Amino acid sequence: MTCRSFQKDLSSYLDGELPGARAARLEAHLRVCHHCQQEMAALRGINDHIRAASRHLRVSQDFDQRVLRAVGYYRVTTMRRERRPLVKPLVVLALILLALFGLIKQYFSRNLPLPVRAPQPAVGGYAPAPQAAPTFPGRNRR
Amino acid sequence: MEEALRPRLLPAEEPLDGQALASASDTELMAACQDPESASGGFRELLSRYRKSALALAYQMLGNVEDAEDAAQEAFVRVFQAMPQFRGQASFSTWLYRIVTNTCLARIRRHRSSAALETLPEPRGEDSPSDQVANGLLTRQVLHQMPPGLQAVLLLRVEGGLSYREIADALGLPIGTVRSRLSKARIAFRKLWNEFERGSGDGAPAVGQAGVTRPGRANSAVDSVEEER
Repeated sequence: MTCRSFQKDLSSYLDGELPGARAARLEAHLRVCHHCQQEMAALRGINDHIRAASRHLRVSQDFDQRVLRAVGYYRVTTMRRERRPLVKPLVVLALILLALFGLIKQYFSRNLPLPVRAPQPAVGGYAPAPQAAPTFPGRNRR
Repeated sequence: MEEALRPRLLPAEEPLDGQALASASDTELMAACQDPESASGGFRELLSRYRKSALALAYQMLGNVEDAEDAAQEAFVRVFQAMPQFRGQASFSTWLYRIVTNTCLARIRRHRSSAALETLPEPRGEDSPSDQVANGLLTRQVLHQMPPGLQAVLLLRVEGGLSYREIADALGLPIGTVRSRLSKARIAFRKLWNEFERGSGDGAPAVGQAGVTRPGRANSAVDSVEEER
């Protein structure tokens, strides 16, 4: 086998995903082939670089709170969505009841005697004097 | 027979307390999430276990911290929403990483632009030596330029630590495709690394620092592997 055929297996070997017999053949080749050793080291370098790139990453302090808030918000909206289908029929029912109440009230108000009107001040005359504000015993003592 | 018919995720018989949550397995925590009494504690524990790795995966895929936090948070919310439908066909980490990956891929499709790289913020935390910062920037540039399909496979393997079988499950791919994509992804990474290095001139990261081998070495071998495919 040539280096080219072994190089196809390097990636899987690095990940520990190469079947036993092929892994054993590759290991034997790696012991004697400097070129493939360099290839293998280069592939390991990729893993190292990727892992190092996120090593200093820090999770922000409010990360959990933001997730939990979002989860809570989701619960509320789901409940609202579940309730929403009831809203329309209830509004229509309320409007119908209001209209019925209005009609009934109007019907009975026609059959009742008119209320006696309070005397109105004459046009151009004087308006009745405003009544004095009620006094409370003991309030204005000095 | 009855045992076989039982769903794999059953609500915990008794609500788990704080200590029990900390020592519970992921599967037990997911079961706790099905129980209204322990759901909150179970989800918080899963969040604390996986927020860092979910964020790291999202960060590697998206290239900046703010987008990564948004994506990771969105993924956790999706996990919470989908928890009742989860039947334990994969481990929690595989499931979470699949959701993180899909969330990031959707964001990449919507927002990807090469200009975003120039204003990448550095990772928060302690000050890094300059060579580490340069390597980190170069790595992010390379990952950002990779085709999303190759990038996702590579990051699920290296950052997420998933096996080929788990990656295949997470992305809905045959295992042979995962194997070949990983090989191609590493070749693509090295080629891009070399291109960026040539373009960066003096600012190139130092070779061989702390035992890290530059992935672009033995470039002729990369070309030879690529020709063979």
